[in-house]
Formats: sequence, C-alpha cells, structure tokens
Amino acid sequence: MTVEFLRPKDLAEACQALAAGGAEARVVAGGTALSIMIRHGLTRPGRLVSLDDVAGLRHISQAEDGLRIGAMVRLRDVELHPGIRRAYPALALACGEVGNVRVRNQATLGGNLAEADYAADPPPALLALNASVRTTSPDGGRTIPLGQFFRGVLSTDLRPSEILVEIVVPPPAGLRSTFLKFRSRSSEDRPCLAVAAVAGFDGDRCTDLRVAIGAACETPLRLPAAEGMAEGRRLTAELIDEVAIAYADGIEPIDDLRGSTWYRREVTRVFVARTLKELTPGHW
Amino acid sequence: MLDALDRVRGSVPYPSQLRLPGMLAAAVRRSPIPHGRILRIDTSDAERMPGVVAVLSGLDRDRPGSPVWLYGVALKDQPLVAAERVRYVGEPVALVAAESASAAAAAAEAIQLEVEEDPAVYDPVEAARPGAPVLHEGRPDNCFVHGKLRHGDVEAGFKRADFVLEETFTSPVAQHASLEPHSAVAQWDGGRLTVWTGSQAPYIVRRVLAEIFHLEPEQVRVVVPPLGGGYGGKGHVRIEPMVAALAAKTGGRPVKLVLSRAEEFATVTKHAAVITIKTGVKADGDLTARQITLHWGGGAYADASPGLVRAGIVRSVGPYRIPAVQVDSFGVYTNLPPAAAYRGAMSSQTTWAYESHTDSIARRLGIDPLEYRRRGLLRPGDRFATGETMHDIHFLECLEASAESLGWASARAPEIGPLRRGRGLAVMMKSTLATSRSSCRLELDEDGRLTLYTSSVEMGQGAHTALAQLASEFVGVPLPRVRVAGPDTQVTPFDSTTSASRSTGMMGEAIRKAASSLRDKLIEAAAPLLEVPPEELEWAPGAVRPAAAPDLCLSYAEILRRHGLRAIEASGTHETDGGIDPETGQGVASPHWHQGAGACEVEVDTETGKVRVVRYAAAAYAGRVVNPILARLQNEGNVVFGLGPALLEEVVFDHGQPVNPNLSDYMLPSFLDVPAELVTRLLEAEGAEIHGIGEMTLPPVAPAIANAVFDAVGVRIRDLPITAEKVLRAWKEKARHA
Repeated sequence: MTVEFLRPKDLAEACQALAAGGAEARVVAGGTALSIMIRHGLTRPGRLVSLDDVAGLRHISQAEDGLRIGAMVRLRDVELHPGIRRAYPALALACGEVGNVRVRNQATLGGNLAEADYAADPPPALLALNASVRTTSPDGGRTIPLGQFFRGVLSTDLRPSEILVEIVVPPPAGLRSTFLKFRSRSSEDRPCLAVAAVAGFDGDRCTDLRVAIGAACETPLRLPAAEGMAEGRRLTAELIDEVAIAYADGIEPIDDLRGSTWYRREVTRVFVARTLKELTPGHW
Repeated sequence: MLDALDRVRGSVPYPSQLRLPGMLAAAVRRSPIPHGRILRIDTSDAERMPGVVAVLSGLDRDRPGSPVWLYGVALKDQPLVAAERVRYVGEPVALVAAESASAAAAAAEAIQLEVEEDPAVYDPVEAARPGAPVLHEGRPDNCFVHGKLRHGDVEAGFKRADFVLEETFTSPVAQHASLEPHSAVAQWDGGRLTVWTGSQAPYIVRRVLAEIFHLEPEQVRVVVPPLGGGYGGKGHVRIEPMVAALAAKTGGRPVKLVLSRAEEFATVTKHAAVITIKTGVKADGDLTARQITLHWGGGAYADASPGLVRAGIVRSVGPYRIPAVQVDSFGVYTNLPPAAAYRGAMSSQTTWAYESHTDSIARRLGIDPLEYRRRGLLRPGDRFATGETMHDIHFLECLEASAESLGWASARAPEIGPLRRGRGLAVMMKSTLATSRSSCRLELDEDGRLTLYTSSVEMGQGAHTALAQLASEFVGVPLPRVRVAGPDTQVTPFDSTTSASRSTGMMGEAIRKAASSLRDKLIEAAAPLLEVPPEELEWAPGAVRPAAAPDLCLSYAEILRRHGLRAIEASGTHETDGGIDPETGQGVASPHWHQGAGACEVEVDTETGKVRVVRYAAAAYAGRVVNPILARLQNEGNVVFGLGPALLEEVVFDHGQPVNPNLSDYMLPSFLDVPAELVTRLLEAEGAEIHGIGEMTLPPVAPAIANAVFDAVGVRIRDLPITAEKVLRAWKEKARHA
C-alpha cells in the first residue's frame, strides 16, 4: 500500500487536494496522533495532506476583539505565550498538560481539536472560554462555536474537504480562568478527567460561571443549568459543592481503563469543586 | 559499563538491527479468536503476491521431511504455527517471507483463514474447575503441572493456633515491555542452521531447534548480539522455531522477524496468579502452620511454566520460621498468550501475597510491622520448609537497612486536607536455579590482551562489564585490555541461561577457575625461562616472578613471546546440583538465597484514591559487589520497574481480545512517578560469595506500597494493580461500615 504525501502551499490548494482525495484523504497537522493511529491500523489514509507549508496558520494575535490562534500553532507555543498565560490561564495550562514536552513541540492546537479525542486537554479549556473555530473549504469558510464542533469520539462538525484554520477566543473581559487535569494512572497518562472553569466576579459575587469537563464523556461538555446556580451568588464551599454535585449527577460518563462510570462521577464531583475553589477570589 | 557510549548514542548492534545480504522480511498471520478449530487455510493467493518468497503454515506439517511440529522446553505442546486449533488471540497461524516487510505484511493479510470458534476460558481458577473448556487433549483439567511441598503437620498446626487468617491475593497478566521487541534472523546452509536472536538462553534455543529439525546440536549455531532488555521475556524459546521453519523454505536466504509492540503482547506475558494463603498464628505472634494454594495462568502453552511453577513453590512460603508448611502450586492452561518468567520470576506474585498477608497478621496482633517481622524472620542456621539449613542469611539486615533508610520511626508529616500519609515495608526470599552450569574460556594473547569467551547474555544489565572486571581481576590484566566475546554457540562454551540473577555469581566462579588454571599454565611456562621450579614462582598482576627474587619478573606477553606462542588458553566450569522432591518439596532448592527488602511512604488522596509513592528505600544482599554503579542501578531500576505492576500495569482482555496492547493504553510508570526520594543499599559480607542482584528489590515494591496504603487509610487491597479506583472504592466501603 502506498500513501501519497502532499505539501500544498496555500489553503485553496490544500482544500482541493482534500476534495480530490475523497474519503482516502486526511489532513496532517503535527501528526502526533495521526501517526499513532496509522501505526495501529486504526486509519489507513491513501493521501496525506500536510499543512506544514501552508502560510498564515502560525499566528497568535491578541487584540481588543479577542485572541486568534492559527491552527498550526504548536501546543508548546500556546503554553508559553505570555499574553495567553496572563489573559487565558486555563488555555495555557491545558496546552501545557498535553503528553510531554516532545509531543507539545510537535502537536498543534488545530490538530488537537480536529482529532476530537475525548481524552484531550485543550478542548474543555476552549469550551469554557466560549471559543470558536474558523474553517475554510471549497464552499467558503464558516465559524463554528466550539459547543457545536464536537460530535462524538473522533468526530467533529468538519466536512470532508473543510480545514480548521483558526481558533478564536473572545476577550478575557476580566474573567478568571483555570484548568485542572486528573490522571488516575501514570504522570504522563492522558486525563481521566479534565476540568476548565471561567468565572467573572462583581466584588465577591459571581457574575458569570462556565465549567467545562473533558475526558469524562464522549465529548467535552458544559451544563448550563449547573453553571447558572452560581449567578449573582458568592462561591461559598456549600455552593461549590452544589455545583460539583450537579455536574457529577448531570453527566453520563464513559467507562475505560482510566476509570469506570462510577469512578468518573466521583472524581468529577471532586475536581469541579477543586477547580472552583481555585477560581474563588481570595483563594490564594 | 563497557558499552556505555554505544548505549547513550543508540548504536548498540541489537539483533533487531541486524542486516544480512539477501535477507528477507517475515510477517505473521495470527489467530483472530481465542479458541477454535481451523477449518481451512489457503495460502495460494499470498504465495502469488509480489515479492513473496515463502509461506509457512499448518499445511507444511505433514509434508515429507517436515520438522517436528510440536515443541516446548518442558512439554511438547506448542505448534510451530497452529495447524488444527488456535488457542489464543494472536497465536501464529502462518508466516510469510518476502523481499520487504510491507510485501510480507500484505501477503500475510491475504492468507485465507476459516476458523470455528469454541468456548474459551481465561481465569486460571475457572480453567481448573470441572467442566471448563479443555485446551489440550489428555489434560482434561487444563492442569499441566501440580507442584507440592509437604513439611510438618499443617492441620495440627492450625488447631494449635490462637487464630487462623486466610486471604486470597491476585496478580494480573502483565507485560515485560522490553525496549527492544523480540527479533530473530534464521539462515539455512544445507543441513546447518544459524540463528541470530535476542535470547537470554542461547543453549536452550540450540537444543530445542536441534530437536525440532532432526539435527545434532552442533549443526545449530545460535548467535546472540546485545539485547535491548529481557526481564525473562526472552528466556527459553520464543519466536526462533517458527522463523527457522520459515527460513527452511527460502532456498538458503536469511529471514528476519521483528515483532511489533502489539505482537509483543501476544507473544509472552507475566503469569496471572491467584494465591490463597492461610496461616495459623499464636497470640504471641509465632506461626504454627501455613497453607498456600497457587493457580498460575500459563496461557495456551506450557512453555517454561512447568519448571517455573515448581520454582514458585519455595518462592511462595516467605522468609519466616513456620514449623508446618503445605504448598500446592498449579500451572493451568488458559486461552491467553503463553506466560513466562517475569523479572523476579514468580516472586513478584508470591511476595505480593505473603508480605501483604504478613502485614495483615501484624495488624491483627497490633504489633508494628517491622517489629513483627523482626521476631519471625529466618536466621542463619534455621531450617526452611524444604528441610535445608539456611546459610548466608541476611533478611533482617535487608529489612532493617530499608526501614532505617526510610526513617521508619521518624515523625510523620501532618495531614493536609484529604491527603493521608502511610508507611509500609516488605521483604522477599527467592531461590536461584538449583541445578545449573556455566563454562567459559579465557584466551591470553602475545600482546597481553585477554579475551573472555562466554555465553552469558548482555541485555543492558551490564553482565559483560561485570564479567570482564572479574576476568581482569582474576587474571591480572587491566580492564581496557579485556575483551568479551559471545554468546555464539559455535565459539563460546555452555551456559545454562542468563536469568535468575545467576550470571555474575555462576559465570564469575567459572572465570575464577579458568583464571586460576591460566595462571598455573603461565607459571609452568615461565619456569624454564626463569630457570626456577614452578613451585618457587608466584603470580603478580600481569606477570610471573620468583618468590625469592621478585625483580626477575616476566610479563605475560614476554612469556608467550619467548615460547613463540600466539596465545594461551584455559577453561573453567562451575556447576550446582540441587533440587527438591516433586512430591514433598524436600531437598536443596537453591545454592544460595536472593534477599531483598523495601520500605516506603505513600500519600493517598482520599477523595480520588490516588496513591503517590513519596519516598522509597530498598536494600538487597549482594554478598560481594563487583561493580558498585551498575549494582546500584539494578537496585534502583528494580524499584522503578516495580512501581508498574504495583500501581498501573495490567494487560486487559475482553473475551480473550487484548484491549490495551500498546504503550499508550498499557501503562508503564513515567519518570515523573519515581519517588522524589529513592535510596537503595547493597549489603556485603566479609568473604561472601557473589549473590545475584538483578531482581531483589522488585518483588517487595507492591506489598510495601499496599502495606503503606493500609497504614495511611486502613484499607487492604488484595488485587494488583493498586489502582486509584480500587483504593477509593475500598475507602468508601470502609466509611459506610464505620
């Protein structure tokens, strides 16, 4: 079996190469996940379309309208970016927890999202930050809110010849954010559970709470009803426990080698609470 | 380490990297089901594919001149490739040799295979029950060995006891996960077979291949380049028979097979074990009797398990004074990949049972676990359950060295939120091979260079370095002038195997004898040159001199040159002869005892059950240390290695299908899991013989951690690995009852 490896110079060429390749074609960004899947025989693409030589996918720009990250930006560059660390700590922390430093130097943010592995770290952080992704395709581009992007395990809203080009995050607007990853096995394992939380405060009253959990279910998710429990209230230990229990009870966790459904509910309660405690003003 | 630079640079010539002119690549077609009958196999499409040179399958079994199809080091129950039945997922049913690896893989996939599935059994206890699916004709109970030990009256002992404690411990299938996968190259030249293989036991491979192919052992040459790890998984015989059978069909072209990581998981595993241990205890802590029943999951073929299950008998008792002991150790066929020795063979499972159990006894008595063990450990002169008198015994020193290094009795950190700290320890007793032999040859050349010919296998443990050091010391030639050659069965003399931590001790002793003989020969040769009778000559490092006139010293090189000799040679052999009675377990189980201990402090998160090993201290008895750095690395490496099966590792099967046959889903410890404080100690004794140190600090790791978890949160985990989920469940269970 031979595999065609293409290196288009721009997005139009890349989309064309994808469209022409049909079901056989796959986009390669950093390649860290795809190469493992190919090696294990989980996917057997006949055509690989690399985005390595495509210009305009490696920017990180912060402006008044928010943060824009090119799809080919390495996770390590997000992790270390001073502006992101300051304004969007949840995102920097999540990117810094992926694999190990060798993986993070190769893997890209766009690739991480497009792979849609349920046990990925960045998706819940971006979901809590109300991020969206911009795409391009022969039919034109569109913007997909992250809440509508993930469809299932290894499945997204992307169409066959559509390419994720940019991640857009709204301005931080004074919001606090953080991210916690829980590994039930080795220190370099993927998460049993990841929790990202974003909150705004007016004095000690919570004005806006968003909690996204990853790795617990088939896709990262938020529970708006549980988030709404905090609206206008102080994040007391009691309230935090109520929100944490609402998350634990409100999800349908998966069962894998990192933990059973029962166990994931347990640690969801524990880690939603721990994450919210970290966010609470005066915690430090 | 002699090849340290190569190891750091990645330039060690591993067998998997060997290339020969005209070499073909092999690929294996494997069984998709755990148990069933082969209805049809058709290789004709595969044979016609581009680049394909040869295909081996069960169709070859009945051809004239075919090899003996069933082989095995102990029982001949394993087919070269499955011909009639398949007995586990991943069992080879055919092999293809082709011009490239991709051509071989494509052809292997094109082989048509029809199988009819039969009921299968995976758990060793279930497999031994009446009515379980039967794997092999003539073994209706699936039991291929029943090892026994009978010492004293166990029933009377239980009656005499103030209480009897019975617990069952389990240890799952695990993987050796050597850095380098199994690989072998085979080539036929007329009636002679040469195999280059990553094997820990070249002479066992030679014997088994000779049996299979109707050859004299001398017609089989086994060459072993340095291995990228073994840990028992490359002991005995693995992929060599099927590769050699395939190579017999290529018209003399060499064939190479290198397994993928997924194939590694289908080739060899650590034995799953279910161990029930029952002990009678007096109120003062004295033990009155112990009864142990072990079920070992052997997988689909007995392989080396009959011997290992027997070796496991004495390794299951524990280093304690117990007047009556009964052991029943069953090796059981299951529909899983064959099992083999796994670093600290059988002791990794048995120590888990008896050291967790010992802590349960100490807790029941309300005695500190260190103090309790101190009272009951075997001491020199005590009799063991085999009837043999113990000598060179240092269990207590090992345990106390570990406890002291940890600060067993030191003040404890205060509790922080949900985190609880606890301390635990464990000690282990392991036999080495009762009967084995090591031979070597030393060759000193006219330039004063020394070559050691040995069949000890270098697999990253530093065996060749330690043996070169001994040769250097015993002969008196500086280390940089010592070269190690082998293993190559055509050149290097017999050695039983590189396993059971026996190489430095056994081969070292053979080198000492060879060196002594070499020195005698040099003195004989120097006598006429110095015109002094041999008995008045003495040996000095690198030279011979008259005792009365040390200045008239003749260097080795000079002695050889003046005789016109190119080289002078001497051989040495060391042999041990023991063994226990198969019905009673009485006899001599080991020429000396492997002794190691560990103590640790853990932190348990009571909200998640996650266990973090904060500090670990280990000690092993070494007798005499040859290379302090390598020996320390063995001790440390064992602890790090042991964290895996203790906390993380389990090959999970779903109806016989491996769920996690890769190193992303199968969890090895990360360097980040290594305790921040890791102390290891090697104990020596004046004038002691060399003891093996390759596996002594591994078996105590799991029970030491479990005992520390108990100390921290009061729950007893009896099933490995000690996962966060198991600990949390047990903690919640305990809270519910409280």
